[in-house]
Amino acid sequence: MSIRTETPTRPRIGSDAAPILSFDNVCKRYGSLDALAGVTFQVNRGEVVCLIGPSGSGKSTLLRCANALESIDSGRVLMDGRDVHDRRTDARNLRRRMGMVFQNFELFPHLTVLRNVAVGPTTVLRMPAAGAAARAMELLRKVGLGDKAAQYPAALSGGQQQRVAIARALAMQPDVMLFDEPTSALDPETIGEVLSVMKRLADEGMTMVVVTHEMDFAKRVGNWIVVFDHGKVVEQGPPRQVFEEPTIQRTRDFLSHLGWHGESLAASDLLVPAPSGSYEHRTSD
Amino acid sequence: MTLDWSVVWDNRWRLIAGAEMTILLTAITMMLALPGGLILALLRLSPLRAVRSATTWFVEFFRATPLILQIYWMFYVLPAAFDIRLSEFATALLGLTLNVSSFNSETFRAGIQSIRPGQWNAGLALGMSKPQVMRKIILPQATVRVLPALASTWVSLFKDTSLVSIIAVADLSYVALKIRSETYRVLEVLTAMAALYCLMGYPQAKLVDWLHRRLKVTE
Ligand SMILES: Nc1ncnc2c1ncn2[C@@H]1O[C@H](COP(=O)(O)OP(=O)(O)OP(=O)(O)O)[C@@H](O)[C@H]1O
Ligand SMILES: [Mg+2]
Repeated sequence: MSIRTETPTRPRIGSDAAPILSFDNVCKRYGSLDALAGVTFQVNRGEVVCLIGPSGSGKSTLLRCANALESIDSGRVLMDGRDVHDRRTDARNLRRRMGMVFQNFELFPHLTVLRNVAVGPTTVLRMPAAGAAARAMELLRKVGLGDKAAQYPAALSGGQQQRVAIARALAMQPDVMLFDEPTSALDPETIGEVLSVMKRLADEGMTMVVVTHEMDFAKRVGNWIVVFDHGKVVEQGPPRQVFEEPTIQRTRDFLSHLGWHGESLAASDLLVPAPSGSYEHRTSD
Repeated sequence: MTLDWSVVWDNRWRLIAGAEMTILLTAITMMLALPGGLILALLRLSPLRAVRSATTWFVEFFRATPLILQIYWMFYVLPAAFDIRLSEFATALLGLTLNVSSFNSETFRAGIQSIRPGQWNAGLALGMSKPQVMRKIILPQATVRVLPALASTWVSLFKDTSLVSIIAVADLSYVALKIRSETYRVLEVLTAMAALYCLMGYPQAKLVDWLHRRLKVTE
């Protein structure tokens, strides 16, 4: 794998002046620990921004600060021009515009798959049950799980559960999707089905912030890569630059730690382009 | 020593009425102490410190003192100090309810706190309010988890209702002890009393065992 093939990486979308989500010198401490020590970057509409970096570098904390699940100590997070952490901001209203997908799915075990997806619209949007169920069913079909609607989450594989979690977040029709290591808890054979659902979402133009260790995904689907270390952004740029010509040693070390040595993974079959109109390929059920 | 079981047969309707009172007290107490315990548990998880500590004192008082004292206290102190006059039955019900609510609140609190924080985040991230997450996500899971513990409390309560006989509420214990003092047939009456409690209590205990097996937390 020493030959470098040209992998298409996406150009950054939108003008820098109109980000949908921006982080401006965000600081967050836990006791004496600086979990975030002045983080600045932005996410433009329609972009896929991938956050990478070693364990404990603050990636999850940043996502939780993005939708105000966690408070910040200084700096600003702007969502569509609104200060997320301002007292006068309606945090609930902002959160429903940001879908969140967790490492260990966090499906609601006491609800069926269909109700897991419908509970947001019925509870938060006050949608009538029938309408919410119809929307949920449509989304479940989209992620290839229409036949699992009546099951409980415990009966599903990890990859299937994560796809339900993605459908659950999409049911709120968010403007931005936040993914926190969505494939880290999965068996290798089910990672692909989740990544391809995410890739389709990106192709449809969804704005996404993805914390991931899947470098192949980051490189091919990401428009912008942000490298974290010790609560700071140590490098950011388009995938080609970050992966192939990282400007700082820390990035190089981190990438090689993950087994990435600059080569393209074009030959890898993890991310076969999905046939149009369906998410259902490569599902292992 | 000759046994004369006719004393039990002759008083069968009084004993049955006593048993009914025992069941009635148990059922009404639990019906009140389930919502009562839940409310106390929620107050104890309140973001307001003053609410939290007031509830803690209340709950700990009822958990740390003997039920017999609580019943006596309500029977004698409420009318004397606060001029609150309740019937014996109402006094008994109040004492049992406050006591069992306190125990139930600890059960509910443990159940609520056993649900991992990720479930809260998942609900909040959808845009739910905290009360909505509590109602739709946390409580349904917590309740199933604590059902066996609540059922154990029910069985203890069933037996503890016997304490209300000290303020002349005509439950099974009161009636049986009264018949004993009228007839001096200690052995027969106490045996009948034991048999009746056992007859009623055994199926309940079995139900609790079944719930424990059935709902064993598998997480
Ligand atoms: N609630 C918390 N209380 C105290 N410390 C915390 C808390 N959450 C995170 N931390 C600490 O903040 C730092 C950043 O954690 P974070 O989970 O954001 O890292 P991460 O980049 O997501 O790591 P990983 O790749 O392991 O998920 C870590 O040192 C972590 O121990
Ligand atoms: Mg993390």
